[in-house]
Amino acid sequence: MAHRDWLGLKQELPRKRRMWLTTLSFCLPILLWCAVSYLPWVWHPLVRVTNPGAVDYFTEDMDVPRADFASELAKAQAAGQPLPEGIRVNPVYLPAPHAVAIAFVTAFQTPPRLPNEPWLHESLGHSIRTILWGFVVSSLVGVPLGILCGTYRFFSRLQEPFIEFFRYLPAPAFGALSVAILGIDDAPKVAIIFVGTFFQQVLVIANTVRKVDPALIEASQTLGASGWKLVRRVIIPASISEVYTDMRILLGWAWTYLIVAEVVGTMSGITFFINQQARYRNFDNVYAAIAMIGVIGFSTDLFLAWLGEHLFPWKRKTRPNSPTRSLWQSCFGGAPAKEIPCSTTP
Amino acid sequence: MQYDPLISQDYRSQAPEVAARFARIRSRPVILSARNLKRNFGAGPEARTIFEGVSLDIHRREFICVIGPSGCGKSTLARIVAGLDEASGGEVLLDGKAVSGPGPERGMVFQGYTLFPWLTVKGNVMFGREMGGQAPSEAEREARQWLDMVGLGKFENAYPHELSGGMKQRVAIARALANGPRILIMDEPFGALDAQTRAQMQAYLLQIWRKVDVTILFITHDLDEAAYLSDRILVLGTNPGGLVEFIENPVSRPRTVEQFRGAEFLALKRRLEEHIHPPVEVEEERLPMVKLTLAGDEVE
Repeated sequence: MAHRDWLGLKQELPRKRRMWLTTLSFCLPILLWCAVSYLPWVWHPLVRVTNPGAVDYFTEDMDVPRADFASELAKAQAAGQPLPEGIRVNPVYLPAPHAVAIAFVTAFQTPPRLPNEPWLHESLGHSIRTILWGFVVSSLVGVPLGILCGTYRFFSRLQEPFIEFFRYLPAPAFGALSVAILGIDDAPKVAIIFVGTFFQQVLVIANTVRKVDPALIEASQTLGASGWKLVRRVIIPASISEVYTDMRILLGWAWTYLIVAEVVGTMSGITFFINQQARYRNFDNVYAAIAMIGVIGFSTDLFLAWLGEHLFPWKRKTRPNSPTRSLWQSCFGGAPAKEIPCSTTP
Repeated sequence: MQYDPLISQDYRSQAPEVAARFARIRSRPVILSARNLKRNFGAGPEARTIFEGVSLDIHRREFICVIGPSGCGKSTLARIVAGLDEASGGEVLLDGKAVSGPGPERGMVFQGYTLFPWLTVKGNVMFGREMGGQAPSEAEREARQWLDMVGLGKFENAYPHELSGGMKQRVAIARALANGPRILIMDEPFGALDAQTRAQMQAYLLQIWRKVDVTILFITHDLDEAAYLSDRILVLGTNPGGLVEFIENPVSRPRTVEQFRGAEFLALKRRLEEHIHPPVEVEEERLPMVKLTLAGDEVE
């Protein structure tokens, strides 16, 4: 039964099928976008005038709603005057896929309109720098603190209630404050990303560290581990791969705060580019820039997933279901753990 | 007591060589003692006593098995001796000194697999030595020896998840022994293994124990296992919880599977069964049969 093979409950699909489905998961939304863009009878709520005819307020290349065009056409027909002509188009804010694809390349090649404005790659670089600084500063404090809170009840009780409270304060609320304290350059932006990341980070990592199997800790105690040695040699390695996964998710969140951070003080980075292009009504560039954030985030995560495989070789078989990992495997094949014949005979 | 020709023998009668062996064991120094151990769960009026008044002396190189019905606190006893659990009363003495908290002189093998997944097999066995401050190169050399002893030298660079359950427990035994413990506490170490692997592991453990100067406190719920492995068997009871009997195993060593059918083994096992499975009144009245099928397929 073919359907059973495709829809098996909790069964991993064969590699070829996974690859098909991965491709399809990207193609389906793009196909929908193509349909809306290229099939003139789907949506297309406007008419672009190619020939104004006798309608006095129509000009060439003007977009009018379909209903208005129809009523003017009817009026012209009734009066026996020259008929206006036009083609159905989508609004300017929905460019066709090919336009965005082209913009993906040309956006990098187009010089900025004003000499003091950054090129796109400079904007992107600025954004990535901001995120990295925010994330690194947050992690430098947040990871050790999270591990402490996850290990010792003392630190957990001392820190977590306040952090739990602070976590609910939205990072953008600190925009004005951080500009007042840190000036209008990059410092307040880094601060916003820090505020957005840090408090979640401490709680998430503390939780992960708390989940370390107590049996492992007990086993290490009967082997003579205690105190700082136990933290360094057991608790940290036992949780490090999960903490790494947490960090990947947190880095994704940091991108969300980036857009907020970049409108604080002087607008900068990719947000500045997007806003500028929207003002010029270059919506293909806007879409391209948004897609670039996705491409950067997604490829960073794929890279980190791949790196994780090599950093934590003992995890290779145990987490086959993380979406990035299965995507990675379906695209490039997995790195199976080496087979060892299991026998209990002496 | 009902007469059974097969097991007419008293479990307390010992062949001369077995009696001589016990005399030798008793002459050895006491390595671990428990004095009046007591354990409560909960506090106040809700408190429930799991066991109390448990006192025992374990001699050097003795193999002690602890059995008892579920809920008698045999695992708790092991954890108290290991220092992972606290007694509500009484004390544990190792070489005459009271102990509290876990320590490397009391090694432990757990029922669940507790190998460190991020370390290779060799890294796991080296762990205790490194905790004790030994140089890695020295620890590595010793780890290799212990791995060879449990027959896993070839797998020193494998990760635990690549091993079968039996192999994992062999590594766990090597890891505990590499630390040179005075006593090895094993809390149902083979409970998660299939019957065949378990039998192999039991034979293995006896082999290792014969080669190594170590005292073993072995918790199990398997009567055959206790009878096969032990020098003495500590039987714990429930209601009231505590020591019921400390039985000297009459089966001679070295042990073989053939002895499972011997008179001493069967006598011992019957005694253990009396402790663990007290006789149940069999209900005489015949219950009406509940029919699950439609009429037409009646059976007698």
